[in-house]
Amino acid sequence: MLRPRWRKVLRDTWLHRGRTALVVLAIAIGLAGAGVILNAWALVDVATREGYGASNPALATLRVDSVDHALLARVSAMSGVRMAQARRTTVARVHVGGTTLTAVLFTVEDFDAIRVGVVTPEAGAWPPDEDGMVIERSSLDMSGASVGEVVRLLFGDGPPVGITVIGIARDVGLAPGWMEHVVYGFVTARTLARLGAPSTLNELQLVVGDGALDQEGVRRVAYAVRRNVAALGRRVIDVEVPVPGEHIHSAQMNSLLYTQGAFALMALLLSAFLVVNLISALLVGQSREIGVMKTLGARWPQLAAMYLSIAAALGAAAVVIALPSAVIGGRMYAAIKGDLLNFDVNAYQVPAAVIAVQVLVGILLPVAAAAVPVWHGCRSSVSDALRDVGIASAADPGTLPLRITGLARPMLLSLRNAFRRRLRLALTLLTLSVGGAVFLGANNLRTSVLGATDLMFAAQRYDVALRLANAHEPAEVERVARAVEGVQAAEAWAGARGTVDHGDGVLGNSFFITAPPAATTLLAVRVESGRWIAPGDGRVLVINRALQRAEPSLGVGARASLIIDGRAAEWTVVGVVETGTSATAFAPRAAVAALAPEPGATSLAIASAYEGEGSTLDLIQRLRATLGEAGMPVASSQLVAESRRVLEDHLLMVVDFLGAVAWIMLLVGGMGLASTMGLAVLERTREIGVLRAIGARNSSILALVQVEGLTIALLSWVLAIPFSVPISAILATAFGRIMIRVPVTYVPDWTGVAWWLALVTTVSVVACAWPAVRAMRVPTASALAYE
Amino acid sequence: MTNPSPQGEPLAGESPFIELLHVSKHYPTAAGSFAALSDVSLSIDRGAFVAVVGSSGSGKSTLLSLIGGIDRTTSGQIIVGGTAVHALSERAMSAWRGRSVGIVFQFFQLLPTLTAAENVMLPMDFCDVWRPGERRARSLALLESLGVADQADKLPSRLSGGQQQRVAIARALANDPPLLLADEPTGNLDSRTAGAILDLFSRIVEGGRTLVLATHEPSALRHASRTISIVDGRVEAPGGAVIHA
Repeated sequence: MLRPRWRKVLRDTWLHRGRTALVVLAIAIGLAGAGVILNAWALVDVATREGYGASNPALATLRVDSVDHALLARVSAMSGVRMAQARRTTVARVHVGGTTLTAVLFTVEDFDAIRVGVVTPEAGAWPPDEDGMVIERSSLDMSGASVGEVVRLLFGDGPPVGITVIGIARDVGLAPGWMEHVVYGFVTARTLARLGAPSTLNELQLVVGDGALDQEGVRRVAYAVRRNVAALGRRVIDVEVPVPGEHIHSAQMNSLLYTQGAFALMALLLSAFLVVNLISALLVGQSREIGVMKTLGARWPQLAAMYLSIAAALGAAAVVIALPSAVIGGRMYAAIKGDLLNFDVNAYQVPAAVIAVQVLVGILLPVAAAAVPVWHGCRSSVSDALRDVGIASAADPGTLPLRITGLARPMLLSLRNAFRRRLRLALTLLTLSVGGAVFLGANNLRTSVLGATDLMFAAQRYDVALRLANAHEPAEVERVARAVEGVQAAEAWAGARGTVDHGDGVLGNSFFITAPPAATTLLAVRVESGRWIAPGDGRVLVINRALQRAEPSLGVGARASLIIDGRAAEWTVVGVVETGTSATAFAPRAAVAALAPEPGATSLAIASAYEGEGSTLDLIQRLRATLGEAGMPVASSQLVAESRRVLEDHLLMVVDFLGAVAWIMLLVGGMGLASTMGLAVLERTREIGVLRAIGARNSSILALVQVEGLTIALLSWVLAIPFSVPISAILATAFGRIMIRVPVTYVPDWTGVAWWLALVTTVSVVACAWPAVRAMRVPTASALAYE
Repeated sequence: MTNPSPQGEPLAGESPFIELLHVSKHYPTAAGSFAALSDVSLSIDRGAFVAVVGSSGSGKSTLLSLIGGIDRTTSGQIIVGGTAVHALSERAMSAWRGRSVGIVFQFFQLLPTLTAAENVMLPMDFCDVWRPGERRARSLALLESLGVADQADKLPSRLSGGQQQRVAIARALANDPPLLLADEPTGNLDSRTAGAILDLFSRIVEGGRTLVLATHEPSALRHASRTISIVDGRVEAPGGAVIHA
């Protein structure tokens, strides 16, 4: 049989069931928010380890002139190399569903024997054959292709080759095709030959060491292999060494999860303040009962256990509500992350330890939050507890609200009431204003991101970029293009991949160098430091921040040895710009064209005389035809507006995820306000009775509660504005690390501030509605009899 | 005077059941220190029915609080049943109070979310006296002896003032304490019910317990074996066994 003290606990909790339910809901929301992030994180982590790790990704890739059986056998036997595989990557075009997209085609000798970067067949047939290609899953939706459909592959000015999509496979090592705007396909060497493309395998994918090596360790082995391959008379074009065990997008994902996780944790902590509110009010209301129980022999640990068990029960109830939604939400969120990483997370379960953490936090956090009020409440002396005449006496509003004058009496009463429970007021204000600060921060970030994207694309004063299948004389390319109707301006650009030579035989990862004419009018990148390319410049580089992060030794004035097409040359860095998340550099066309494998221009930037995407697409068709007729076939084309849309979509998706946390905080804050006002009404039942006895009508009582709530809401709105400055700075810095550098906002976006005012006012009115109704329902006689 | 044991062990030999030596109690207030009791010394024999009388604010309730270990002295010593109450730690005080003292309040102070029987069982639960299986039976027996057994499973709000006070007395007796302290127990009752409660107290004292009753009720004096009058925090002659001015 349940002991009387535990029956008391149960009945007291039931007695305050409305408020208790509110607190449970608030903790559940905070817990669910944090749980979604944690579960998604755990699922992505498991998928990374068990999915990406199990695919045995290449730890290093050497691009060489050709790989034959003998070379592969020699490399496989080299010291430190655990596994080697030959592959070819071909950039072509695919015509599907009326549009032409860039295709990246992978070819190996035997698709059934892939051991490095294992590809998992998902639907249809595998491996690809002479008449059929297999499409990588992440390109499927974007391309609109389906199994059984015949698509046309094109390479350079070769003839289109009709080929059937015979299957779908997943390569977890690839950045998603929908994100990169490319169609990944797996084709045989014979298919490449039909396309007129080289089919010799030219990549060496290596798995090195015992799996415990870091990037530098892998790099050392890869460069030893490079030296040996070069000694065999083969030309090594470049060496790619990614961070071992880390997916190409995992750093971005982790940073995003860290930031979101921090805010979700903050929401959870803020929900714990509601527990402080509830337990404090319960203890203050029961101080006399505590005194009586002490006279009956209760010791403070027994009493503390009673009240802490209420907090634990609140947590347990919140866990029951939050956990299923956290797991479901976590799975959904992880699926989005999986799409970004090209993982399938459906096959994995949230680890039991992660669930256990959520259960423990859910139960222990309210207990921890309740500990201080319980300690104070249960440690008071018996005489003090028995002498406690109730709640009203302790509610002194202080001197500050007394200085407010000139308002109607009921309004003054509401204002002063708001300050009577200062700790509770502080906690409610903190909850609401931090929620507001995150809301404003996310809003500022959205404005900053849009501004930064504007700035980034303002540099691109062209509408279309065409990639030529081969290099051609720049002046000739420009002449042909300018003759096409609708071309306002045309510039032929050179380009090449370069690698920084660190001087010890170890190279950095390769990056693309865009080489416009020195007097370009179609590219006007805003220089962050140093200067832009000038006419007469020789081997000078303007690098972007992403490249500077990857190669910290590069700065304005730095001299670097750059390897382009296997040949080293000295370059000077003259400027730093911000252009996005990929490492890239800019150099004078003449300087790059001279060193590139194919001298001349490889791409064409076009400013269209037309408005609207339809006309521009028509212009692209005519440009393709004219250039093709002039012997300069176009390999691929890209609309700048489309690139901008894709970039903005991705950037804003991240911003919106952060904004979602602000909504969780707003909900928790609203519940905090509702709880505070509910307690205020309960504590002041006698005062309400007195007000009624002296003539206050229902409307006055309603206004009394609502004005007090609005006072708190408006104070939180004011506080949120300065709080949003550091939060905006943190968000902008975090975003800059993850995505693109955005300006830090020190002055909030005033539209957001106005929105927040509207939101917090609405939340206040809604949160105070029920307490106000309760206050109006209290009959005068029982209010005056209340103790 | 006996030499009290700080551990609360009763000492051998005849001695008063309750002994106060130069007890003072001062409360800090905004206007300075307020002396609720000043240098009070008195002794009460085992089995006595003592009525403490005095005007409102004279120090009656403070005297009961100090004897019952609810409050602590500013100075002086209090020995109850050989236990030096003033020297007990908070933890020991709680344990001693739960087993040795039953307290009855003016406003009953029953816990509103527990039934009458559960209120009576609560001290047994806290002090872990009586086996859990026996507690309800004992609670019902006490309620029976006080004439409210039929109210056992009702919440206090469903009971009349007299019934609530009977339940409160049953609760005070739950752990079978040798000392009962009652602070204005009839102050909130009509005269007929108050008389019945005082009769109950007389029966309880006849059973061997010591009762100290703070009261304004003139009729209470007829039941008391001795009266102590307090004026402005000092015991006033005649009636006081020990007087210090």
